[in-house]
Amino acid sequence: MVELTRVYHFSAGHRLENPALSDRANAALYGPCHRPHGHNYYLEVTVAGVPDQLTGMSVDLGQIDGAVTERVLSRVDHQTLEEVPELAGVVTTGEGLARAFWRLLAPAVPAGALRRVTVVETAKNRFQYEGEAS
Amino acid sequence: MTDAPRAASTRRFTFSAGHRYWVERWSPEENERFFGRLTVPHGHNYTLDVTVRGPIDPETGMVFDLGELKRIVGETVVDRFDHADLNADALFRGRVPTTENLAIVVWELLAPKLGADRLAQVRVWEDPTLYVDYRGPDG
Repeated sequence: MVELTRVYHFSAGHRLENPALSDRANAALYGPCHRPHGHNYYLEVTVAGVPDQLTGMSVDLGQIDGAVTERVLSRVDHQTLEEVPELAGVVTTGEGLARAFWRLLAPAVPAGALRRVTVVETAKNRFQYEGEAS
Repeated sequence: MTDAPRAASTRRFTFSAGHRYWVERWSPEENERFFGRLTVPHGHNYTLDVTVRGPIDPETGMVFDLGELKRIVGETVVDRFDHADLNADALFRGRVPTTENLAIVVWELLAPKLGADRLAQVRVWEDPTLYVDYRGPDG
């Protein structure tokens, strides 16, 4: 079994805001992150598999690239994350995005192959999600 | 000694190598249909992260002498693959030099030298957008 990780990039605007809280409470809770701003995000998608005896490939990389492009990158790149329908109800923290992207991607890759979704928000922050069981 | 705290250390290496994806028993047309442009000989600047794990030696404060690790990986892997054609290497006879197989081959080269109990992970980066981790046949 090997784990293959592909690194993708997108840029998006966002702000941290819990709709259940007042504007003042959000500002106090999230500080500067409550102000509309953006990031150059990196998204790392890790899938596990056994390399095929003949082809040496553990996954169909084209399928993974296609799923990530269609289900995530095309929806979020150069968008405001709070306005993306697929992210409705998600507080767009790195953790929240990693979990949301997992849920978008899991049905589009071979069953059980998705091992980890990592959202790199800045060079200083990375967030990993490995599914409900972990 | 068995009670010594354990840790992992990772050292990074780089090498540049050529390869192409090609299954010998397939016709050229079959290879091109399946692998596309990957059948054309090309190359990569590979990055290799070797992680060793074990007890922290109470005398040296080290899990593994990284100078020793540098020498072993250099002689065993980097000298072998740097500026080499991976398809021409005996280790890739009947084995397509995908990133997956390269990670497995590097593990197989290093495990006997470092000890399978000390070698924790081999990570091979084909380029900054793709890497494969292998933690051995039991990993």
